[in-house]
Amino acid sequence: MIDIVASIKDALNEPITFLGSNNPPTYGEVLEFFLILLIGFIIARIIRFYLRRTLKERMPKNTANNVIKVVYYGILSIVFLISLNLIHVSLSGLLVAGGILGIVIGFASQTVVSNLISGLFLVIEKPVKVGDGVDIDGVSGIVTDIRILSTTIRTYDGIYTRIPNDKVFSSHIQNYVAHGARRFGYTVGIRYGDDAEKAISIIKKLLDDHPFVLHNPSPTIFVKNLADSSVEISIKIWSPSSCWYDVYTEMLWKIKVALEKEGIEIPFPQRVIWMAGKNNQ
Amino acid sequence: MFGKYDLDVTLAEDGVKIVVEDAGKRKRYYRKCGKEEVEKFIHADTGRIVVCPVEPVNIPLPNPAEHLQIELDKPLIVASGERDTFYTTFPVEVGVFLVDRKDVERIDLFTKTKPKFTLYGPPESGIVCKWWQSSIYSEPPKVKKLREGVFKVDIRNEYHEWMEIQKLVFCGHEMKMFYNDHAYLHGFIKIQKRTVGDTGFISRKPKDMHGSIDIHLAKGLKRLENYVMEWGFK
Repeated sequence: MIDIVASIKDALNEPITFLGSNNPPTYGEVLEFFLILLIGFIIARIIRFYLRRTLKERMPKNTANNVIKVVYYGILSIVFLISLNLIHVSLSGLLVAGGILGIVIGFASQTVVSNLISGLFLVIEKPVKVGDGVDIDGVSGIVTDIRILSTTIRTYDGIYTRIPNDKVFSSHIQNYVAHGARRFGYTVGIRYGDDAEKAISIIKKLLDDHPFVLHNPSPTIFVKNLADSSVEISIKIWSPSSCWYDVYTEMLWKIKVALEKEGIEIPFPQRVIWMAGKNNQ
Repeated sequence: MFGKYDLDVTLAEDGVKIVVEDAGKRKRYYRKCGKEEVEKFIHADTGRIVVCPVEPVNIPLPNPAEHLQIELDKPLIVASGERDTFYTTFPVEVGVFLVDRKDVERIDLFTKTKPKFTLYGPPESGIVCKWWQSSIYSEPPKVKKLREGVFKVDIRNEYHEWMEIQKLVFCGHEMKMFYNDHAYLHGFIKIQKRTVGDTGFISRKPKDMHGSIDIHLAKGLKRLENYVMEWGFK
């Protein structure tokens, strides 16, 4: 028995000569190297498991996933670099090689790094969230995902659109649902012969009856312009951001129908022409 | 109309009709409220139907609000350090649930009131609320049972100045609703600063009343803490 242990010990202390190195690691050191990697891997998995549970309730899903990935791969990298010493791989040599490689990779991956950093700033600043209706750099739609390098949008036509994060970060962003309510408006023209005050009261009643036309801020309805062919009435409506578009598409026709029902019509363009007669000659 | 019934019942009140009847192997659920009609089939041997008022922040769908704002038609002025109790009304939404020992399932939701929404606070940070206007009463008001409920409000002014109150905002997730022949809520408001106050609900069950099914608990949503009104009371 003692002989077997002793022979295993001897075998583990035997240097791995076929690697051809001046200072080759022993079989035992290589075994130790893989053991530490395995332990590091298990620890990283455990930490990832607990982070998932902890961050689930506290962060948006995408942010939590990004944080978990950074921590997980960070632990694996640190364990790998530390354990390299066991198999006699010099970190100083790696640093020189890594430095040169870093410069090469750095030049090659400027855009990637820029996207990555922009992604981190987007996570911190949160100008948009998953599910928001937005317009980013002229692309309008619903944000479906915010990843480390890119943000994806499902346009209102249902098209998958990927926007790199550095572009998202440096672009003009309009978030249609960031605020609880938003305003939109119409301009409706009535004939000069119609009673504008009556028209305003008809429109006001119609808006008061609609649940999603907010009570406060109340709608603003006023005569905006005495135009060439009509008296223009401006209508400004506040509505919950989540359903403003439904109200927007619904109300204009209802206003037209309600006005016509009360004898108020929307005029066609018209021009009064004075004919030259005998008296004018 | 509120109560617990077997899976074979006909209820009619104030223009609302609910029928659960046999339809072959299944049960047929039918409800009419105004022009709105709903028909569903139920496949169940056991279980009962519960018709009860629910938090009035669910209709219409998609519902953009989780809060209820009650606007008093005449403001109430409360002296510093004073307490008062008054009553208002609130809009009633009725839930119809299927219940057995294991589970609660909402099968219908309706209201006889006309919903309206409002914004409490500024557009950039305010919240959209279900809006309701009510008078202020010293005694529990007589209500149209399927339209309005009785809301008892305890108010306490902890601020060092007189305060004028015209708006009360409550979180729908926190509401603890009770009923007998009408819906009932008991809430409170503590005024802490000129524009800040805490609102919440008292969950103690009044005598001769039943607890409603909490629609947010039935949906698996968490209950929140008291709501903090931070944009004033006028």
